[in-house]
Amino acid sequence: MTITADPPPAAQAAGTPKRPRKKALRTTSLFAHGEPMVWLTGGSLVLAVFMIAGLLGLVLWQGGSTFWPGAILHVELADGSAYLGEVASKSSFAPEESRLEALSDEVAERARTELEANGGLVDRFQLRTENFELTNVHYRWIEDYHVLDRSLPEWALLVERNTWGRFYGTPVAFRLDGATIATEPDEVWSRFQEHHDKARARYHARQSLETHEIGAVNRTLEDARLHMRAAELAEGRDSERWRRAEAAYRAAEEEANGAFTRIRREIDALNTENGRYELVLETSDGVEKALALDEVVRIFPANQLGFGGKLSVYLSRWWEFLTADPREANAEGGVFPAIFGTIAMTLLMSLVVVPFGVLAALYLREYAKQGTIVSIVRIAVNNLAGVPSIVFGVFGLGFFCYVIGSSIDEVFFSAKLPNPTFGKGGVLWAALTLALLTLPVVIVATEEALSAVPNSMREGSYACGATKWQTIRRIVLPRAAPGIMTGMILAIARGAGEVAPLMLVGAVKLAPELPVDGVVPFLHPERSFMHLGFHIFDLGFQSQNSEAAKPMVYTTTLLLIAIVVLLNLVAVWIRGRLRRRFQSVHI
Amino acid sequence: MRFAEFASRYLITIGGIGTILAVAMIFLFLVGVVVPLFRGASMDGAEEAEIERLASEPLHVAVDEYKSMAAILLRDGTVRVHRLDTGEELQRLQPFGGAGGGAGADERTLTALSVSPEGDDVAFGFSDGKLHLGRFGFTSAFPTDEETPDVARDLGPGAIAVHAGKIYVLTTEGKLRSQSFTLEIGAPIESQANAAIRLIAHTSDDATAVLAGFTDAGRIFYTKTRERTNLLTGKTTYASDDYELPLRSEDAAPAFLHLNGGGDSVFLAWANGKVVRYDVRDPSAPLVAEELDILADPAAELTVFEPMLGQATFIVGDSRGGLRAWFTARVDGAPTTDGVQLLLAHELATEGSAVTSIGASPRTRLIASGHADGGARLWHVTTNRLLATSPGPEGEPIEAIVLVAKEDGVVAATRVGLLHWAIDPRYPEASLAALFRPVWYEGFPAPTHTWQAESGTDEFEPKLGFLPLVFGTIKATFYSMLFGTPLALLAAVFTSEFLDRRLRIPIKSSIEMMASLPSVVLGFLAALVIAPFAQRIIPATLAVFVTLPFALLLGAYLWQLMPSNRAVRWAGWQRLVSIGVTLPIGVALALWVGPVMERLFFAGDMRLWLDGQIGTATGGWMLLLIPLSALLALGFGVRVLAPFVRRRSSAWTRSQCARYDLAKFLIGSLLTVAIALALSAGLDVAGFDPRGSVFDTYVQRNALIVGFVMGFAVIPIIYTLAEDALTSVPEHLRLASLGAGATPWQTAVRIIIPTAMSGLFSAVMIGLGRAVGETMIVLMATGNTPVMEWNVFNGFRTLSANIAVELPEAVQGSTHYRALFLAALVLFAMTFVLNTVAEIVRLRFRKRAYQL
Repeated sequence: MTITADPPPAAQAAGTPKRPRKKALRTTSLFAHGEPMVWLTGGSLVLAVFMIAGLLGLVLWQGGSTFWPGAILHVELADGSAYLGEVASKSSFAPEESRLEALSDEVAERARTELEANGGLVDRFQLRTENFELTNVHYRWIEDYHVLDRSLPEWALLVERNTWGRFYGTPVAFRLDGATIATEPDEVWSRFQEHHDKARARYHARQSLETHEIGAVNRTLEDARLHMRAAELAEGRDSERWRRAEAAYRAAEEEANGAFTRIRREIDALNTENGRYELVLETSDGVEKALALDEVVRIFPANQLGFGGKLSVYLSRWWEFLTADPREANAEGGVFPAIFGTIAMTLLMSLVVVPFGVLAALYLREYAKQGTIVSIVRIAVNNLAGVPSIVFGVFGLGFFCYVIGSSIDEVFFSAKLPNPTFGKGGVLWAALTLALLTLPVVIVATEEALSAVPNSMREGSYACGATKWQTIRRIVLPRAAPGIMTGMILAIARGAGEVAPLMLVGAVKLAPELPVDGVVPFLHPERSFMHLGFHIFDLGFQSQNSEAAKPMVYTTTLLLIAIVVLLNLVAVWIRGRLRRRFQSVHI
Repeated sequence: MRFAEFASRYLITIGGIGTILAVAMIFLFLVGVVVPLFRGASMDGAEEAEIERLASEPLHVAVDEYKSMAAILLRDGTVRVHRLDTGEELQRLQPFGGAGGGAGADERTLTALSVSPEGDDVAFGFSDGKLHLGRFGFTSAFPTDEETPDVARDLGPGAIAVHAGKIYVLTTEGKLRSQSFTLEIGAPIESQANAAIRLIAHTSDDATAVLAGFTDAGRIFYTKTRERTNLLTGKTTYASDDYELPLRSEDAAPAFLHLNGGGDSVFLAWANGKVVRYDVRDPSAPLVAEELDILADPAAELTVFEPMLGQATFIVGDSRGGLRAWFTARVDGAPTTDGVQLLLAHELATEGSAVTSIGASPRTRLIASGHADGGARLWHVTTNRLLATSPGPEGEPIEAIVLVAKEDGVVAATRVGLLHWAIDPRYPEASLAALFRPVWYEGFPAPTHTWQAESGTDEFEPKLGFLPLVFGTIKATFYSMLFGTPLALLAAVFTSEFLDRRLRIPIKSSIEMMASLPSVVLGFLAALVIAPFAQRIIPATLAVFVTLPFALLLGAYLWQLMPSNRAVRWAGWQRLVSIGVTLPIGVALALWVGPVMERLFFAGDMRLWLDGQIGTATGGWMLLLIPLSALLALGFGVRVLAPFVRRRSSAWTRSQCARYDLAKFLIGSLLTVAIALALSAGLDVAGFDPRGSVFDTYVQRNALIVGFVMGFAVIPIIYTLAEDALTSVPEHLRLASLGAGATPWQTAVRIIIPTAMSGLFSAVMIGLGRAVGETMIVLMATGNTPVMEWNVFNGFRTLSANIAVELPEAVQGSTHYRALFLAALVLFAMTFVLNTVAEIVRLRFRKRAYQL
C-alpha cells in the first residue's frame, strides 16, 4: 500500500537540470508521511494490546500460581522471636528515623548498613504466618535487618484446616486416646497418614448426617407445619381439616424428635471416634497445639516435596477449588456452588432467551412488513443492548421479584408468608432478568443469520410449492442455526460475566442449598444462588480479611475469564464456519 | 398443513410482538414506579365529631395510631377521651386532682406541659413547683378470652365495641384488639423552683433527662436528672442537678420555652417575637448565645413556637398567618458563644389566617398547622412546600392539632368538636425541585445538593439530592472518555490504515474479546491491584501521560532518519515491533522522570503537596499546562516555522529533512516545557492554585484509576465500531487517493477519516453510553462518596453504583426505593438517547458510504 516517491539511485545520478524538482518531490513525501502521527496511532494500538495482555497475564500468573505450594521459611529475629511461614510478597521502603532509633544498636547498625548499600531503602518481606487462633494475625511484615537466620526446616508442615485458616508447625507427637504413641517426625507423619483418610471419611459422614438427614427431618416437619397453616388459612382453626393437620403435625414432631436423637447419637459416635486421634504440632514459638485429624483438609511437609509432590498438591488444590464448597467465609476451599449457580442460571436464561429471541427475529425479518415501524423497532432493540445492565437489575427486582413473585406467593405460598418464597431474589428471576438483558444479542445475531440466507434459496423453496412455514423450518432455520448458536453463546458469555443486575435479583454470598438437588421437586427456581462474578465482588470487597482472600479472588477471576473467553472463542469459531459455509453457498 | 402454516404465522407474530412489547415494558414499568413520586399529597374534607363543650382551653390532643380515639388534655387538668368517629366520650379523668376533681390528696394544679415531638413523652409542671415526667398516649393489647368483655365477643370484622373506656376491634387477621388511653406520671422531680411552674421543656435519652422551665417567681431553671431504680423496692427516684439561667429581660413573662434535642441550648420566646437562646453546654456557667427577633412583621404576634422531630428545628407561627422554620446551624464566624446560629431556613407562609397550633410528625419533616379560621394545612418543611390545605367547618378556631403517627390523618380539637382529616402525604420528600435544586437540610448553614438516603438514627432526614450522583456519573464518564476515546480512535486508524493485513484479524479479535471481559474483573483489578500500585508511584503515574507520547514521537523522528528504501521495507511488522519497544521505554522514562519531577516541583512528596501542605502551585500548573503549551509550540512550528522552512527545504535531502525534523521536535519539546514553566510560574505568582479544584487530597480509589480501568471497558467498543466504520469506507476512494500521489497518512487524514466521521462519532457515542452505565468498575474502584468536586484524585458515586449499593436495602415502595428507580430511569433515558443518536448517525453514514 505504501507508495514511495523515491526514485531509483540511478535516477539520482542522472542529469542535473531536473534535480531540484525531484528533490522537492522527495522531501514532501517525508513530511507528508506523517510518521510521528502514525507512531502515535500505532502506539495507541500497541498500548491497547499491551493493556489486555498485561491484564490477562496478571490474572493468569496470579491465578495460576496461587495453588502452587511454596517453601516454608523459618526465620529467627534479633529479638529472639521466630516465625514460620510462606513468603507472600516482598517490597522495599524508606524507614523513618524514629523507627531506626527504636531498634537495638546491633540491629540499627545492620539497618543503616543496608540503607547505605541500597540507596536509602531497606527490604522487607511479608510472611504468611497464620496460626490465627494463637496469634490473631494472618500475615506479618518482617524487615530484612531483623533477620538473624533463615532456614527451610525439613519437617515444617503446612496444614489446611476447616476452620481458623492454615497452620504452620513441626510435628512433635501423635496421640491416640490421649496417649502419645509417636514422637519422631517421620513416625508421626506415617501415623497421621494411616489415620487421616479414615478420620476425614468419618468427618464427611458426619457432615452428610448434619446436612442431609437433619435437613430431611426438618423438611418433613416444615411441610407438616405448612399443611397446618394452610388448613388454618383455608378453613380456620375450628375446622376438621385443621385438627387433622394439627394431629399430623404433632405426630411428625414426635417422629422428628426421635430422628433427631438417633442422628445426634450417630454424630456423637463419629465425634468420639474422631476425638481419639490427635496430631500435635509445635509452632515457631514453641507452643504445642493438638489438631484433631478430621479438621485437617490437607497437610504436607512443603520443604520435602519434589516437583512431583508439589504438582500433586497443586492439582489437588485445583480439584478442591472446582469441586468443593467454600469454607472460611469463602476465603478458602472451593467454588463449586458458584460454578453450579452460574451454569444453572445461564442455562435457565438461554432456555428463555433463545426461543423468544429467535421468535422476535423471525417476526422482524420474515413476517413483519418492512417499513418505518420495523426499522424503529430494530433501532430500539439495538439500543437495548446499550442500556446499562443495572437498569435491568432494577427492573428485575421491581417487576419479577416484587410484583410477579409477590403475587405468586400470595396465591400459592400463602402458608409461608410473611417469609417470601418467590417474592425475593432467586435463580429464576435472575435468569429472566438476564434473558431480557441478552435478548438484543440473540435478536441481532439471529437477524444477521437470517438475512445471510440467500433469497434465492427461499425462492427456490417457494417455487417447489413449499409454504412459508415449511420454507422457514426446512430451509431458512437450518442455514441460520450456526448464527443463532453464535448469538446464544455470546448471550451466555455476557450472562456469565454480568454481576451488577444479579446483585439485585438473587446472587448471594453463600447459598445454603443449590438450585437443583435431590429433593422433590429437584428444581428450585426460587432459591438464591451463588455466582462466580458476584463471588469475586464479594470476596474482594465484603470479606473482613481481603488480604487472605486475594489469592482466591485471583483464581476465581481466572476461572471466570477462562469460561467467558472460551465461550467467545467458540462463538468466533462457529461464526467463521458459518461464513465459509455461506461463501460456498453463494458460489 | 394449513393449520401448521396458520399456527406458525400467528405464533411467531404473537411471540415476536410480545417479545418486543416486553422490552418496551421495562421503560413503562420504571416510569410506573417513578410517577407516584411526583403525585401530590391528598387531604380529604374534615369530618367533625361533636363533643360536649370543653370547659377550658385544650393544651394537647393525642390520637392513637389506628385513629379510633383521641385524648384531650385541658388547661384545668381534665383529660377527656373521645371516640374519633362518633365523638362519644369514653373517659373523663382528673389525674392531677386540683380544681376540677377536688378529690386529690394534694391541692395543686397542672400549670405547664411539655410534649416531645417524637411521641408520647411528656413533662408536667405543677403549681407547687414539682416536675413529673410521664407518658400521655395509648396502649394496644390483644386480650385473652377471659379478659374479653361480652360486648366484644362475636364482633364482625371492622365492627367496634366499647367497654370501660376501651375500644375493641376485630383485626383483619381475626384477632381481637383493645385500645385504651394510658397516662403515666412518674415520680416527682424535686427542683429548686418553689413557685408555680409556668413553662416547661424537656428532652431525654435512655438514662438522663434534661428539664428547663420558667416559674412564677420569674426564674429560669435548668435541671439534669438521672433515673435511679432502687434494686430492693423497685421504686424509681430521680437525682438531679439544678442550675439557674439569668433572665436578662425585664419585660413580660416569656410565652414559650424550649430545649434543643441535645439539651445544650435553651430557647426563650416572647409574644412580640423576641427570642433569646442560652448556651448551656456548661450549665453552671450559662451564657446568652444570641438574641434576635424572629417575626418579620412587627404587627404580628408570636402564636406558635414548637419543635419538630429531634428538637432542632422550631416552627414559628404568628397571628398574621406567617409560618417559618428556624434551626441552629454551625456558621463560620457566627457571632455567638457556641459557634452556631439560629437561621431562618424555610419560609412556609407569610400571610393568611392566624396559626393557632402545630402538629409535627414523629417520623418525618411533615407538619400540620391549625388556623384561627378552623382550617388545617399540611406542609413539608425541608422542601418548603404546602402539600394540602383543607378548610374546616366555619366558626370555631382550631386550638390543638396533631398529626397521626402513621401520617395518615390529622386530628384537631376546637372547643366544641373533634375534627378529623384523612390524609395521604405520599412522597413529600421528593419533588423535582427537591431532587435537582439545592435543599436546606436541618443543621446545614445553607441549601446544598446532598445525597444521603439512609442513616442509623430515627431523627435522620433522608437527603435526596440527585445532583452529586449525576455529577459523579459525568465525572466518571469524562475521565474515562478522556483516556479511552483518543486511544481507541487512534488505534482504529492504525488498524485500518497502516496495520499489516495478516495481523489485523488476530489483533482486532483480541481487542474485541476485551469487550466481553466481565467488568467485575476489571473492578477487582482496579481496586486491589492498580489503585495501590498507582498510589505508590503517583508522580510516575502522572508523568507517564507526558513521557509515553514523547517517547513515541521521539521514536518516530529517529525512525525517519532511516534510509527511505529500508523505511519502506520495514513499514510492516518491524515498525510495529519498534513501537512496541518504544512504549516500555516511555514507561521507564516516566519512572525516572517521576521522582525527579516530585523533587523539583512537588517539594519531594507528592501526597503532601496534594494535601496542600507544602510546595508551590507551579508543579500542578505544569502538569495541567503541558498539553496547552505543546499546542502552542506546535502552533508556532506550523504557523511560523513551517512556511519559512517549506520554501527552503525544497533543496534538502531526505536525511536533512529528517534531521531538521528531529531537531525541531527536540527544540519544540524544550519550548513546551519552557512555556509551561513560564505560564505556571506566572499563575503561581498571581496566586492561582490548581489544588482545591482538579487537584486535591489523594484518595486511593480515585477518578484517575477509574478513568484508566474504564478504558478497558470503553476502548474495545469504540475501537471495534470505529474500525468497522473506517474499513467500510469504499476501497476505491482509498485507491484513488493513493493513486493521485497522496501518502497513506494523507489519505487517512484527508479522505478516510472525513468520510467515516459519522461512523466514528457514533462509535464514541456508544462508548459514552457504556461509560455512563458501567456499574461494577465504579462500584469497586471509587470510594462511592457522593461528593461534587472535579479532583482527579478523589472518588465519587455514580447513579449506577448508587443503585447497586442502596437498592437491596431500600424498602419496597418507599420514597428512597422510588428515587432509586428514578435513577435507573435517568440512566435508561440517557443511554437510550445516546444510542439512538449514534444509531441514526450510523445508519446515515452507512447510506452515504453506500452511495459513494
